[in-house]
Amino acid sequence: MSISNYKAEFEKMLNRDYFSKSLHLYRKEAFAQLEKTGFPTRKWEDWRFTNVSIISDGEYKISEISDAPQTTPNIDSYQMEGVDTVVIYNGHYQKELSSVPDGVALLSGLEHFERKNGKFDTANNSPFDLLNTAFTDSGMCIVVEKDTQVEIPIRILFISNGVRSIMVNPRVYIDVAESSSLTFMEHHVGDAESFFQNESVFISLENNAQLNHIRIQSNSEFTQNMANINVNQDADSQYHFWQLVDGGKLGRSNICVQLNGENAQCYINILALSKNNQHIDNNIIVNHNSPQTHSSQFVKSILFDTSTGVFNGRTVVHKNAQKITAHQTNKNLLLSKKAKMNSNPQLEIYADDVKCSHGSTTGKIDEDALFYLQSRGINKQDAMELMVIGFANEVLDKIPHPEIKKAIHTEFTVKLNRLMA
Amino acid sequence: MIKIENLYVSVEEKEILKGISLEVKPGELHVIMGRNGSGKSTLANVLAGKDKYKVTNGSIKFNGENLLDMLPENRARAGLFLSFQYPVAIPGVNNMYFLKAAVNAVRKSRGEEEIDAVDFLSMIREKLKMVDLDESFIHRPVNDGFSGGEKKRNEILQMITLEPKLSILDETDSGLDIDALKIVAKGVNDFRSPDRSFILITHYQRILNYMKPDFVHILMNGKIVKSGTMELAKEVEKKGYSWIEEEVAEAA
Repeated sequence: MSISNYKAEFEKMLNRDYFSKSLHLYRKEAFAQLEKTGFPTRKWEDWRFTNVSIISDGEYKISEISDAPQTTPNIDSYQMEGVDTVVIYNGHYQKELSSVPDGVALLSGLEHFERKNGKFDTANNSPFDLLNTAFTDSGMCIVVEKDTQVEIPIRILFISNGVRSIMVNPRVYIDVAESSSLTFMEHHVGDAESFFQNESVFISLENNAQLNHIRIQSNSEFTQNMANINVNQDADSQYHFWQLVDGGKLGRSNICVQLNGENAQCYINILALSKNNQHIDNNIIVNHNSPQTHSSQFVKSILFDTSTGVFNGRTVVHKNAQKITAHQTNKNLLLSKKAKMNSNPQLEIYADDVKCSHGSTTGKIDEDALFYLQSRGINKQDAMELMVIGFANEVLDKIPHPEIKKAIHTEFTVKLNRLMA
Repeated sequence: MIKIENLYVSVEEKEILKGISLEVKPGELHVIMGRNGSGKSTLANVLAGKDKYKVTNGSIKFNGENLLDMLPENRARAGLFLSFQYPVAIPGVNNMYFLKAAVNAVRKSRGEEEIDAVDFLSMIREKLKMVDLDESFIHRPVNDGFSGGEKKRNEILQMITLEPKLSILDETDSGLDIDALKIVAKGVNDFRSPDRSFILITHYQRILNYMKPDFVHILMNGKIVKSGTMELAKEVEKKGYSWIEEEVAEAA
């Protein structure tokens, strides 16, 4: 554990005149707290299987103006039909490439940060949320006012590029007011040669609000990704989350959901596809704080080569949270003898009238199913691909918006073909 | 169509089939009956090419070709079809997508073009009617959450879609209620033609009330111990297998 590398960068940042001085207090407070806790080590219960020394020992520099594109970047290969896109390039907002749908108010992350006095609710004051608070350099705040149905999905395209070792700390707030609905997509791409992204997302859903949140992490294999997603839900709200991770060297998602109001519902769906020596960790905590709340965690991993994965899913049912339902499913497909998965579904129940289930399976390709497909004339290679795509489809098929689903599906199939060829 | 000669098969060092010879000519329907453990399903799986079965002796010629040299997918492309005793569920793979992949694999091997999506759908609609299944059925994942009867009808649907020359039905009749059994039997009967052959492996005589076999064989301890016609099946139904066992013991 070493914060010293980050200390110098922190001082540097406080001297940037383009950051509002009024935020310094919150930044300093967060950094001081981070210095106390330090970065997680494998001795921390929630971090037993994920080594972050590449981050804690790393010498990542804050993103400078010179890391922004000098001319308008070409984003043709990242275009997507049917969505409005906001572009953030190495932590720098690209206004001329961005547009937002009707019904959405866009504040800069910093404005909103200020509005909320830098406050946030996260599990255990997560060190990476603290790091983000200290170093917030970009991001957005998406506000949907009461009774507004935003038809067109909004996408933030995070591009990380370049040869310099930099870190970015985007901060995204999404506030969906009563009886409103939104589809938000974050799309992480790029060819950076050394990059650390530490993203914090704060979602607040008022009564009866609905959010579809789609997160695609497809950035370069030299990227370390931390995603800290914090969700607060009032009564009757619905949070639907889909995550597809196939990029990055190290990827860890810390997802923390608070079901605060009755009949609040969250549905977490994740697909991880790892290769080479990638490590992908999905760490989820769902807190049932109110009666009649519902949650599901559906997490699948496909592991090639020597890649490793972690599923750590915790569902906590608090004392008064009667008549809730909670499900956890983790399924893992090992496509190499050297791939490894750690799966740890946990239920902590303090109420007595609840319906909870959890299950985890890890295995190879089902030989019987393979033979079944072959016996219908499909060759072994195609049969395996069909089965792996089928495995993935259980997550991908549920993605809303046909255009987004199709784009994700196509990209996934191309990647899989390449891996299985 | 197919000629099996003196076939010996082992599974994990245990000999299951001990010298089977059987010839099925075009248009014929052969029934193989026998108790559990007699080797019926082993025979079906060996024909389809499952790799845990080891052929230690004998040969199988399928339309003149050496079947044992062929990969499972090539056997299917050459016109061999196995209706599984326990069809396998494949979660996430849409039934229609699977059927289309199978049809196209077979077409491709014959040098034909892939079937057009619209033509395929209208063909499948036709076939679905023949096995009394509604269209929603093909949009579900393959065998996933299907009832026993639906699984078996899905096998027959695949058979009439892929149009094989030789169909091996491994206990397709087991565990079916009488309505489902009639549908399966009708599916097979409608599909019979002078150039198509069938091997029906069964535990029960019941399905033979709805089909007309040309030959009936009794499999016992890895060997065909008695062959005959429909009369033989009726006799087994009435008297069980023990009289055949006694005959075999006497002959030995």
